Formats: sequence, structure tokens, C-alpha cells
Amino acid sequence: MDDGPMFDLTKKKKKKKGTFTLDGEMEVQKESSKSPADPAEPEEVSFEQNTEEISLDEDFSNLAKKKKKKKKPFSLTEMEESLPSGEPANDSTTTKPDSDPEPPAPEGVDPMEEGFDLGSLPMKKKKRKKVILIEPGEEEDVTDGGQGVGAVEGTTWQQDSGVEYTYDELLNRVFDIMRERNPEMVAGEKRKFIMKPPQVLRVGTKKTSFSNFADICKMLHRQPKHLLAFLLAELGTSGSIDGNNQLIIKGRFQQKQIENVLRSYIKEYVTCHTCRSPDTILQKDTRLYFLQCETCGSRCSVASIKSGFQAVTGKRAAIRARTK
Amino acid sequence: MTDTTIQNLQSRDPFADDNEGGGSQDGHIHIRIQQRNGRKTLTTVQGIRPDYDLKKIVKACKKEFACNGTVVEHPEYGEVIQLQGDQRQHISQFLKKVGLAREDQLKVHGF
Repeated sequence: MDDGPMFDLTKKKKKKKGTFTLDGEMEVQKESSKSPADPAEPEEVSFEQNTEEISLDEDFSNLAKKKKKKKKPFSLTEMEESLPSGEPANDSTTTKPDSDPEPPAPEGVDPMEEGFDLGSLPMKKKKRKKVILIEPGEEEDVTDGGQGVGAVEGTTWQQDSGVEYTYDELLNRVFDIMRERNPEMVAGEKRKFIMKPPQVLRVGTKKTSFSNFADICKMLHRQPKHLLAFLLAELGTSGSIDGNNQLIIKGRFQQKQIENVLRSYIKEYVTCHTCRSPDTILQKDTRLYFLQCETCGSRCSVASIKSGFQAVTGKRAAIRARTK
Repeated sequence: MTDTTIQNLQSRDPFADDNEGGGSQDGHIHIRIQQRNGRKTLTTVQGIRPDYDLKKIVKACKKEFACNGTVVEHPEYGEVIQLQGDQRQHISQFLKKVGLAREDQLKVHGF
């Protein structure tokens, strides 16, 4: 969350622009309806979507969520939402049909992840405790979700009492202790990597332009060449960077599709594989690319970009003529 | 103790299982998508081990996904399956179902 302000800034800028075509809006809606049900996306990279259709206060609630809830009025509902509940992610989204235009943070299936979710923000946790004390009736969901925590708070831990604690209780205890001892660690764990959405426009019928390509490269601290190679290899097409630093890709691609590819790029080549921090440097060393993390200092090699097999899709006669 | 030494002495070809996925050294099966004209697409599956009969796989896939498909030979990547349309989800489920690949061996590319 440390780099939140920077990205938030860009976001605000973005909002003022508000240049979204109709089909862009439609995509966004589609994605917001789809992505919560899509648990296959473990990456915590979220592209904020801002459309004019989303009403203003929703936008603000969104903002508030990202900014560790500076806006109090929304914090309650937002908290309820952001807290992991016992139910699967789908349920919580159905109860709140379209209050959140961006996909909620993917809820980990395994208890580890859930634990981290629980304490995603140290501030939030403290607040929640207070809230539970003040109005227990209203926060039914939360107490239900964080049942273990509540139980733990009430219990005094005794080693030889013969009481058998459940796994969940003990797990919650461990995470509570971890959170208490080092709040920064937990905050870092759930760092959300917020990106500007790629601006993707159709050029003619067969080409797509990715106009803020250079900006995105800058934000990711990656060579445009590298991202370009990845994008083209993943999409299985050809393309180039034109005069005003926008990327022209052959083929029809929508913003959502480019976002997906960018997500996989970030997962593979930007976030540290050990601590998931986006603060990394990609360096080339003896023909191999290494990802050096600035936060934890880990260094690991990443796969080189290979486009792999390309099937013949064009006119075979033309290819034959060219080779002759 | 003796057992282990004997086992160690057995000459085992370290490259015996290296030829998995003709061309893709990491043993991954890459599932890619390519755009054709209009909104048509093509799915390619690269890296299935050559000891499987790809023609039979294609035959089963064609029937299951109701699409056409073929096997093409590539000098670098070995035999590659091509299927018409976006069959990435289908083929990955299929490969898992029949036990040709595990989840972690599959790499789905594209948007």
C-alpha cells in the first residue's frame, strides 16, 4: 500500500479525463460481473475501472477503500465487504450487486491466505474491533466472518489446561500475534498493485492501438521492448511502436484482453516471486533475465519470452510467393 | 544400505525423460490462441509428449469440442495440434481429464 499514493494520483488524473468509449464501458461491466466469480486470478493486480456510468459516490467509496478509508461514512459497509467472511466470495458479491466496480480482492482458499486477508490492513483491524464493541448487532456479518478472532479474544490461552483448541482458533491466534508484533509486515503482504487501465482503441478494422503503452512501461519500470515482446508473444501477433509511443498491434483486441495479458506480465516479470512486491528490477545476466527485488533482496531468474509455435493464418499462396 | 548402492549403480540415462514435449524443454504444454480473419480464432497446443499419438488426441478433441483440427509438424516444436476456434478452456480441461497433463504443466497463453 506504500505506493498507493502514486497510483492513486494517476487514477484521479484518469478520472478527470473520462475518455471511455461505449464499448469500453460495456467491457468494464462485463468484467466486473465476471471477475468475482473467477478465482483463477491469484494476482493482486487490479485495474481500476472508471466509467461515467458508475455513480459518483460509488467511485468515492472505491477511493476510500483504496486509501485506507479516509472517508469514514463508507467505511462500515466497505469494511463488511472487505473483511473475509466465512462464505465464498460469490455470496458476498451477490449481496452487494454493483457497489464495487472493481473486482474484490481474491479470497484465498487456503487458511493462510484468509488469515492474511483478515489482517490486510492493520488500521482496519483495530477499527473493526472497536466497531464490534460499539454496535455488535449491526456487524453481524463481521462477527460471523471473524468468529475465530472473537473467540480468541475472549479466551486466555493455557498450555496445560487440557482444553483442545481447534485448528482455526490456533491459526487465528498465530495471525493475531503476527499482526500485533509487526503491523507493517501484514500491510505489505496485502499490498495492492493498482494500475492505470490500458487504453486500447481500435485502429481501422484490423489493428488495435495501445495508446498509454509507454506510460505503463514507465509505471512498471520495464523496458518497452521487453513488454512489447511479451505482449506480442502472448497475443500471437505482430505489432510495433509508432511515432507517438503508442503500440499498434495487429488484430482486434479489447481492453479486457490486454488487461489480462498485462496481469500475467506483472505476475511473471514485475512482482517479486518471493514477497510479491512490485518494487523490482529486471536485469539481464548471461543471457538470462533475473528479477531482483528491491524490498526483500531476493533474486530469481524468470523465463525468457518465447512466442512458440505460430500457425499459418494468412494466405498460404502469399507466403509461398514470398519465399520463392 | 546395499540396496541403495545397487540402485545407484544402475545406469540410468539422465536424459531419458528429457524429450518430453518435442521442443519445449520445460515439459509444459502451451495452449495458445491466434486470431484469424474476422472474429475467428485458432487454438494451438504445443508440447504434448511425442510418445502419444496426437492424431488420436485430435480425433477425440474434434468429436468432443465439435470443431475441426489437425496435427502439424514443426521442425522446432515437434507435432503441434491445431483446433479451430477458441478451445483453450476445453482443451485444458480435456487434457486434465484424460490425464495427459497436470494443472501445473499446462500453460494457457493469450488474452
